[in-house]
Amino acid sequence: MKAWPAVQAATLLLAFLAAPLVPDLRESILPLSAAMAQQDWGKEFQAVCGRTDDAMTLTVQELSTLVRRCDELKTSIDKLEGSRRKVLLKRLQMCRDLYAFTLDTKERE
Amino acid sequence: MARFFVVIALIVAVAVTVEAQTGVKRRRLLPYEYGRVVINNYSEKAGFAPVVLDHWLHRSKFTCRLCHVDIAFAMKAGGTSVSALDNMSGYYCGTCHNGKMAVGGEKVFASCSKKYSSDDMARCNRCHSLGKNVKPQYDFAAFTQRFPKERFGNGVDWEKAENDGLIKPLDFLEGVSISRKSLAVQKDFALDPKLESMPGIIFSHRKHTVWNGCELCHPEIFTGVKKGATKYSMIEIFDGKYCGVCHRTVAFPLIDCQRCHTRPVEWQKPA
Repeated sequence: MKAWPAVQAATLLLAFLAAPLVPDLRESILPLSAAMAQQDWGKEFQAVCGRTDDAMTLTVQELSTLVRRCDELKTSIDKLEGSRRKVLLKRLQMCRDLYAFTLDTKERE
Repeated sequence: MARFFVVIALIVAVAVTVEAQTGVKRRRLLPYEYGRVVINNYSEKAGFAPVVLDHWLHRSKFTCRLCHVDIAFAMKAGGTSVSALDNMSGYYCGTCHNGKMAVGGEKVFASCSKKYSSDDMARCNRCHSLGKNVKPQYDFAAFTQRFPKERFGNGVDWEKAENDGLIKPLDFLEGVSISRKSLAVQKDFALDPKLESMPGIIFSHRKHTVWNGCELCHPEIFTGVKKGATKYSMIEIFDGKYCGVCHRTVAFPLIDCQRCHTRPVEWQKPA
């Protein structure tokens, strides 16, 4: 019985050390719609990938900025949990590819 | 004796070559089978029958972009590796099949769940139905009865069905899709076929962008955003590349030549 305080202390210490490794539970529980509206990465995702329909009208400078923002956003999305990460990475890749390709076409003109 | 074996070997070689060139004749799919997608990344491993998706039903209710961009389904069957956990978490099939969402006033049945009893098996079987005698909720013949007809594929002119107001494919899902400015109307353009005697192609860029957006086709399928940037042949298309990604699988098939080769051949006075 005397060992209990030591066990409890060790457990607390382990939990404290492991905390940064555990994904943000609030984030994984939050539905995608709410996460998109509330989380920084969600707002950035909407802002960046919301320009695909007018990609052809954007300037080289605007397209370069969008490609850079896509790359920066990938770092944040990489940190999300399983399914959400899988879906958003695919979506981000599609819009990044479109911007990069449109940029390449415009630069060659 | 040696000559005999050489002759036999030659006959076998010729037969094998002819067989390889002619290939195997495949049964033409029935209208309700055309576009059907079978997904079996994990189903059989988990003790379930593979999933059968009736593409005709989904395309009648949603645009290509909604499922293949906003929900992120790959363009090839099994390419997404959808798991039950993905669906339970509200992604892929679970985006709509969550038991809460309603489409056209009807609640969409829930897909995979963590716990299920024998009573739930009928629901599981609605998707995990390959090789099972499952009565679908929507009967193809009844569903498409009033739709304008076409000769091949599903036997339905989906474009006309939409123009006639018989279907209204949804292009935006709250909380999933991104609000975008409405896409500028894209001009249709003509493409010249490689064979002089073939009628030219009028490509409906407008129709394709309305259903697909931009990023579904560019650059993954068509590696150019300018007319003529991508050079391709019918052999490649029949091989499932370029137009063949969809027009060999779910959209009207490639044997319906006149749907694309619509520009009349100009008569030229013989020299």
